Amino acid sequence: MSSNEIQIASGRLYKLKRRTFEILDGTIHDSASKACEIFIAVLVIANVLAIILESLQDLHDAYAQYFHWFDMASVAVFSAEYVLRVWSCGAKYPERPSSAWQGRREYLFSAFGIVDFASTAPFYLQLLFPGADLRVLRMFRLMRIFKLSRYNSAMDDLIEAIKSEKESFSSALFLLFISCLLFSSLMYLIENHDQPDVFPSIPAAMHWFILTIISGWGNVDPVSFLGVVMVVFTQILAIALAAILTGVVATAYSAQVQRREAVYEMEVREVLADGVLSAEEKAKLKALQARFGMTDEQVAAIADQVEAERKEAARA
Amino acid sequence: MHSFQLYLMEILEGSPNHRVSRYVEWIITAVVLLNCSAVILDSVPEVHAQYKHFFHEFEFWSVMFFTAEYVLRVWSLGAKFAGGEGGSWKGRYQYIFSIFGLVDFFATMPHYLHIFFPALDLRILRVLRLLRILKLSKYNTALQDLFHAIHSERRAFGSAAFLLMIATIVSASLMHFAEGHEQPQYFGSIPHSIYWSIVTITSGYGNVEPVTKAGEVIALLTGFLGVCMAAIMTGIVASAFSNQIARKKAAYQTQLRLVLADGMVSSAERETLKNLQRRYRLSDAQVQVFIDEAEKKKI
Repeated sequence: MSSNEIQIASGRLYKLKRRTFEILDGTIHDSASKACEIFIAVLVIANVLAIILESLQDLHDAYAQYFHWFDMASVAVFSAEYVLRVWSCGAKYPERPSSAWQGRREYLFSAFGIVDFASTAPFYLQLLFPGADLRVLRMFRLMRIFKLSRYNSAMDDLIEAIKSEKESFSSALFLLFISCLLFSSLMYLIENHDQPDVFPSIPAAMHWFILTIISGWGNVDPVSFLGVVMVVFTQILAIALAAILTGVVATAYSAQVQRREAVYEMEVREVLADGVLSAEEKAKLKALQARFGMTDEQVAAIADQVEAERKEAARA
Repeated sequence: MHSFQLYLMEILEGSPNHRVSRYVEWIITAVVLLNCSAVILDSVPEVHAQYKHFFHEFEFWSVMFFTAEYVLRVWSLGAKFAGGEGGSWKGRYQYIFSIFGLVDFFATMPHYLHIFFPALDLRILRVLRLLRILKLSKYNTALQDLFHAIHSERRAFGSAAFLLMIATIVSASLMHFAEGHEQPQYFGSIPHSIYWSIVTITSGYGNVEPVTKAGEVIALLTGFLGVCMAAIMTGIVASAFSNQIARKKAAYQTQLRLVLADGMVSSAERETLKNLQRRYRLSDAQVQVFIDEAEKKKI
């Protein structure tokens, strides 16, 4: 083989790698990548259903063999998917073909990469060490459900909204943490004498505290007067914490929607700047609308607003 | 003939300018409320024994009334689209297969089924009669606002539902792995544990106490997730409403700007603004602020 032929072959291989990356990653949303997405999503759902059904003793006894085969087939598909993803991520940065491992490292240590690995690899561990606890293995298998979140763009919205308000969230969590330490220590001091079996230690008091925060009643009735006061304060704190959390989420979402409307408005303004709306620009706006999940009404209102501004400017 | 059809459509569809349209709305609302009261009272055995005939008569005339309403609606909606836009049946199909059209149909027509097949199960008929209360939602614009707000945030609700599903399945499975051996009557299988997991997510405290340490931790985390889910859901609704109000204000301001652009306000323009204000339910003070703002900008 001459060096020229080698070059052509490696160029072809690179093209194949890049195409595989596009299909698996969904960067170019064509029919092949959509089909791949649907296939994996359906397989994941079938896997989760199988795990749930297998836990029914009757079904397990009757169809154990089928469940096992299905699991083996799924592991084969997911393993192939993982290997292909790692391999094709080498072509993530086409402008720098030499740095193949940068894209791979990014995938391997991303949340999805870890989920993909942890939900499949333990199967091989079991082949090597047949004595492993089956329950642990099943827990790892359950992680396959998180593979679905890759295909749920709405989840990205939620994560983005929470990220943009992460200071508020962390302050709410900090408040929860501090009050957990403080209240459970106090409760331990107050009630330990009277109810040593219920509040034997601070961790036990923490259990009581968190139960009170999430459900409003901590499973135990206080016996001392100070204990009653503590319970009432904890319950008020629970309501306050729920209100704070709700308010933060509301602000986060509202800010996100406003941010998106502003981005869309800017895009409309840019598109209308030259006075004509080409088919390409229209498609661009449509794509933006779909990405942001905006309704037609929202979009029409923004277009009207920009139009009114333009008319005013023209008159002036 | 056609102008009468159009007139009838405007009355039944509720245009804000018609006084008659408002009266029709009130009458239908009153009949629906009376119907629902009758269904509730009729379920009390003593009342049923004494006023059986009255209720029967009342039901008959109500059905006549609603049937007339339905037929008139279908007929008059022929005037919604002109011949070029799809003909008289386009508007009718739109209504018949809309949610309101289906409600109107199923709230009334089962009565005729009962006439033809007297052996039919009466309980189903009574449940369908209760559908009539949904007819009121047509006249409740606040409810329509709610639907709009939810529709504009449907993706956010979708993500919350997805999260809820994952949280339920994962916590139920983990609980099954942790406690399946200790409490097989509650956590013997994942479908069994799903019930526990939903109770814990919604109320913070499950119907079964975990006995293992791992189970306790899972129960606390599940309850905490439930609090987070409630916060997310409430937050989405709050933000949906607040965004909707902001959008309405922006739309009103846009309209105001267009009206004020030529420096004078004609009576037709005034009417448009008034209608918009009523539709968006903005207060007069609110509108005054917008006008002041627009005036200031012009100077």
